Amino acid sequence: MMYEKVGPARFISHLDLLRTFGRAARRAGLPLAFTQGFNPHPKITFAAPLAVGISGEAEFADLELTEKIPAPFVARALSDALPEGLRVLEVRQLKGAGPALMAMVRSASYRVEAKTCGPVTAGELKDALGSFLSRQEILVERKNNEGKKVLYDLRPGIFVMSGRLDNDIIKIEAELKTGSSGNVRIEEVLEAFLKSSRLPVQGGYALFRNNLYTVAGKEKKMLWQT
Amino acid sequence: MEGKTELDFLEQILPLVKKPARYAGGEWNAVRKDWETVEYRVAFAFPDVYEVGMSHLGLQILYDIVNRRSDTLMERVFAPWTDMEEKMREGGLPLFALESRRPLLDFDMVAFTLQYEMSFSNVLNMLDLAGIPRDSGRRTDGFPLIVAGGPCAYNPEPLADFIDVFVIGEGEEAIGELLDVLIKLKRQNVSRQELLFESARLPGVYVPSLYRVFYHEGGRFSRIVPSLDGVPERITKRVVRNLDSAPFPERPIVPSTEVVHDRIMLEVFRGCTRGCRFCQAGILYRPVRERKPETVLKQAAGLVQSTGYEEISLTSLSTSDYSQVRKVVKSLLDKHACQGLGVSLPSLRADNFSVELAKEVQRVRRSSLTFAPEAGTQRLRDVINKGVKDEDLIEATGAAFREGWKAVKLYFMIGLPTETDEDLDGIVRLARAVLTLGRKAGVPRGRLRVTISASSFVPKAHTAFQWEPQTPLAELQRKQDYLSERLKEKGIVFNYHDAGLSFLEAAFARGDRRLGAVLARAVDLGCRFDGWSEHFQLDRWLEAFRLTGLDPEDYANHRYAYDEPLPWGHIDTGVSRQYLVREHQLAMAGLVTGDCRTESCPGCGVCTTLEVEPVFAGGD
Repeated sequence: MMYEKVGPARFISHLDLLRTFGRAARRAGLPLAFTQGFNPHPKITFAAPLAVGISGEAEFADLELTEKIPAPFVARALSDALPEGLRVLEVRQLKGAGPALMAMVRSASYRVEAKTCGPVTAGELKDALGSFLSRQEILVERKNNEGKKVLYDLRPGIFVMSGRLDNDIIKIEAELKTGSSGNVRIEEVLEAFLKSSRLPVQGGYALFRNNLYTVAGKEKKMLWQT
Repeated sequence: MEGKTELDFLEQILPLVKKPARYAGGEWNAVRKDWETVEYRVAFAFPDVYEVGMSHLGLQILYDIVNRRSDTLMERVFAPWTDMEEKMREGGLPLFALESRRPLLDFDMVAFTLQYEMSFSNVLNMLDLAGIPRDSGRRTDGFPLIVAGGPCAYNPEPLADFIDVFVIGEGEEAIGELLDVLIKLKRQNVSRQELLFESARLPGVYVPSLYRVFYHEGGRFSRIVPSLDGVPERITKRVVRNLDSAPFPERPIVPSTEVVHDRIMLEVFRGCTRGCRFCQAGILYRPVRERKPETVLKQAAGLVQSTGYEEISLTSLSTSDYSQVRKVVKSLLDKHACQGLGVSLPSLRADNFSVELAKEVQRVRRSSLTFAPEAGTQRLRDVINKGVKDEDLIEATGAAFREGWKAVKLYFMIGLPTETDEDLDGIVRLARAVLTLGRKAGVPRGRLRVTISASSFVPKAHTAFQWEPQTPLAELQRKQDYLSERLKEKGIVFNYHDAGLSFLEAAFARGDRRLGAVLARAVDLGCRFDGWSEHFQLDRWLEAFRLTGLDPEDYANHRYAYDEPLPWGHIDTGVSRQYLVREHQLAMAGLVTGDCRTESCPGCGVCTTLEVEPVFAGGD
């Protein structure tokens, strides 16, 4: 299923999202498959977790039903039972088990909008991006599993990054490494960029993830196209 | 909002605070009415964080009633957590309601629910954050009317300076009547003073600014009298006659983030017949009114469909007392277990616990088992009129362990009237006996757990123990240490609450109007979220008392004489004073009073005073 997670729904955490879809399916009367055990939960697997606060414009998940139901019907019924900001865009029936979505994801594209609190010119933004991307490595601090601080190089995970100015709003687009083989978060990239560029930006920013990609052969493809 | 890239201030701060879903709104079944099409707008304010407030059934009931009307709307607001408060204050963002995101100042009424005394600081802080003057006298015509209800409204005096209108008792019918009057007056564009006076004439409504309070020279409360003709001397609680026909929220809001009670809450009855002498709810919600099993099952089916929840909790003050509990649980599971629906029963009693019932309940999900013996010896349980016996508890927990439960929780109270260390030893003895049962039943040592929770007794207004002093703070702490030392055993977990918090709760639970000044000071000193151990600071409260020239011990540790005037005496629960005196005397004599469900009427007076009758759904 491909769905949208925007508006107030972008604040639903990963765990709560599972619950929300489970409840929506029950409201919609869809026969969701459940895991066994004392605390059964619906069999839904998400392609790539989305951090709280980021709008997802084309998110992906697999869900398992216990009966065969036409895909367009599932999409409509589920969509009608979801809270504000969540909407199912399309459902396709998988032929056989296939590879897990989570294992397929290689990269994700993002859009950022940040409000400036001082004068910035298009040229300054272009230069700042240029010098940011020309760096050999972009080290940020991360915590490892034991809670220790380690340095992590973001640069290899930034595949594309560009930006433009729209009045007092800086708009940045980026494609970042995503998935089980390595993950670069948009907030990390943005923070590192704003820190090094010293562009005058205030408060929070609006973050959007607009697509997820996989690699088929040597070719990059939308997750949906495979 | 959808798809918009609006970077307004709220949108900017939401990503920077913990759990932003608390402030985002847009949940399933939330109602966003067109602001302009209604005449009167109410914000329901819960003075605690979202996850706590959204677990409150009363909110869902009133939200449904007000939003069903074509001329009114209700939105919700909760106390912002401290990180959000900081951001809001920094940016000058006034407190707003979740649905329209409009500031509270835009509403005609802000209605607080008072579920526990330690949320009072949040009431004041929320008014501050909304830009609404705290003192009712300083609120001129344009400001929203500040209303409050809920169990703590039964001793309204500590909040009397800040609340315009208290609604005493059950709100289902009272809210509609109040709204009708307020809408009429709004059309007539009357003054605030007139509006308050008209409200005060409604049954169950208390307008504290229309009363004068007198104190004795020594400082103790003397009397409270209406300052205008036509304002009632006593305010009698409102009560819904029949729960089957009472308004019922068919489409409750389903939070998108996990809340404390994240399940369907279906009230199977209101009230309780047990008559535990410490229990305020047992008095306030009299008489017992059960829903018919047909009603419960029909409502449950509707709620499963409209919410999609995976669990339903049959709520009441003592659900295992419900006449039809087995039948209802079985029917619910027969019908809905295939949809993955589990059933849970809060607050089981050890004396009517049945293994079959417990087994039914765990057909889908295993929930934890909790019993509340409240006291460690039979003598003290007789004093408090908690009829449960040691054997009941032993039998119930033994059966539970044999059926596969590995953990049980036992709730006790310490500091009860007449308690000695022998009663504390009784708690230790029971804890060990239950642990031994678990071992005998073959529960693996690593997984066997007996949780003992001890809260400190707080004497509450309108109960048989309302005249009793609270055990002094230092003595409560000694009792906690006493138990703590003796409950250090593998498999036993001992929890207790901060005794300082219970001490303050006791001061406010039986406080008078002068405590308003203390409350205001405390909020100025930074007190808020006092029910949360990470925020509660006794020192700040003691400082607030000191600055006001009052002593919390004069309230918490005072023993009232039977004939002494009580600051909450003008509020009438329907239960007679004579009954409470008799119950108190019986307690001191260690004698129990029967259950009015199964034995003769103990004559509490509620049915005759309020012209209501207990409703039973018929026994098994």
